[in-house]
Amino acid sequence: MAMASVAPSLGEATKMPDWKPPILRSPAAALLAPGVIFVTLLLLGPLAILFRYSFNRFVPGELMVSALTLENYIKFFADPYYQDVLWTTLRISALSSGICLILGFPVAYFMVRLASSRLKAMMIVALVLPLMMGNAVRTAAWMVILGERGLAASIVSLFGFNGRLDIMYTEKAVVIGLVSVLLPFMILTLQSVLEGIDRSLEDAAGSLGADHVRILWRVLLPLALPGILAGVLLCFTLSMNAYATPVLIGGPKFHAMAPEVYQQVQRAMNWPFGAALAFILMITTLVLTVGATALAQRHYRRWAD
Amino acid sequence: MNATAPATFYRVFALAVLGFIVMPLAVIVWVSFFSNKILSFPPAGYTLDWYTRAWERPEFREGLFLSLQTALFASLSSLAIGVPASLALTRYKFAGRDIVTNILLSPMVVPGIVGGAAMYIFYIEFEVATEVQVAGTLPGLFAAHLLVALPWTIRLVTASLIGIDHSISEAAASLGAGPVTIFFRVVLPVIKPALIASALFAFVASFIDLEKSLFLVGPGRTTLQIAIVSYLEWNLDSTIAAVATVQIAIIAVLLLITNRYAQLNRAF
Repeated sequence: MAMASVAPSLGEATKMPDWKPPILRSPAAALLAPGVIFVTLLLLGPLAILFRYSFNRFVPGELMVSALTLENYIKFFADPYYQDVLWTTLRISALSSGICLILGFPVAYFMVRLASSRLKAMMIVALVLPLMMGNAVRTAAWMVILGERGLAASIVSLFGFNGRLDIMYTEKAVVIGLVSVLLPFMILTLQSVLEGIDRSLEDAAGSLGADHVRILWRVLLPLALPGILAGVLLCFTLSMNAYATPVLIGGPKFHAMAPEVYQQVQRAMNWPFGAALAFILMITTLVLTVGATALAQRHYRRWAD
Repeated sequence: MNATAPATFYRVFALAVLGFIVMPLAVIVWVSFFSNKILSFPPAGYTLDWYTRAWERPEFREGLFLSLQTALFASLSSLAIGVPASLALTRYKFAGRDIVTNILLSPMVVPGIVGGAAMYIFYIEFEVATEVQVAGTLPGLFAAHLLVALPWTIRLVTASLIGIDHSISEAAASLGAGPVTIFFRVVLPVIKPALIASALFAFVASFIDLEKSLFLVGPGRTTLQIAIVSYLEWNLDSTIAAVATVQIAIIAVLLLITNRYAQLNRAF
């Protein structure tokens, strides 16, 4: 339907490619309307409602009472339990995105310098396939490996240890799971940025006598900085919001933000507090992301001078 | 790479990291054939029984069907909404195009769990206001999955539309072709591979969604991902490995087909 109503003007635009119509008179409006209305109605509107509810009051018997109070936010920052949940989430996110960078950079560099484009395409498939397998299945796989009688424990027992690894349900295990889930994101992000760096720069530095470490440090890393930042922030954001890995690998005693949001909204039916949790999670992530970007930009300028 | 030492280092390192990413999936496929009742390594023998057992559990069987159905809906309807939107974003210049793009891609930016919570509360408030149930119903789930799929479709389709040479459309127009003809005879054949790729990709994105669905499944209406997670909260055996293997096979086939039509890394 949208197609038909817009059809006549497509030709007009073809004849006048630089014509800039006001959005509502533009044929673009009809093409965009279904998508924009749908997303606004189903996601952005509900988000606004969620934000408003975070200032409401929760009364156990009556569920929610309309109010304009900060008590949900105050409760969060006054309660050591929730402070700990936030710290744990921040810690595992920082750790796993850092490890992803260290492990991912050499792989991305290796891919970019691969002579065979067929091999490169195969590596991309090997990265995207696990990425799209779903966190439930990937986490299940790590449970099989790290579990009490899992693969890791039996390999360890081959070397004479008693076969008890006790790594499942620890923060370490959660970080391992997150790193494995997020690494493809990091590698693909870095790869696309490294792809754009002219190889002759390396050759030039090499012919001037710089060894590989020096080239890496003085030429590649500074040029790849935007990609590094993008990759780290992507991994950081995704682990801040991770659900399956902390719930299943972390176990019932491990508490991270995303599972806590689910717990409050769906299980405890404490919407105001759950809403506050959701926005604390989003705003914390946003502030750190924006802060890191600003910091990196300032650093970048100094490095460039 | 000028020296041999770094080249070898990079090769070994890359293989090890790739192994770290792929190995878990290989392990779970392997485990699905173990004959031991209690999971342990190495296996006592091999069997296919776990596949029968997984199939006999209604939550996995029905979960699989519901997930396939939802993903099919999400993929097709996201094409119907996403292709016109992508055309508009690439073909027209208008004030506020960046804002519109951000709105359309926002389901990818808003964390799944937060978006899921917001939709869940919205559904319940809608139900209170109109007495029409949405939470826990099929349309409610479908709508959420359309939201999951839409940004992927828009990303992949706009990426392919940007690459189009507009002079061909202009030539067709100057020869008297109408806009509808131009779309179906000129633009569509060029972007057809991208459309197939984005439909498949959106299908997979919906199929594996966990966080948004968490809030929106109802009694007796559980997607496969949720069935897997709830099973794993209490059990860990080869039944779940068999379910995981089926999912791995389905997604691998879909993505390998996608790979024939578009470079997979274009989506990220």
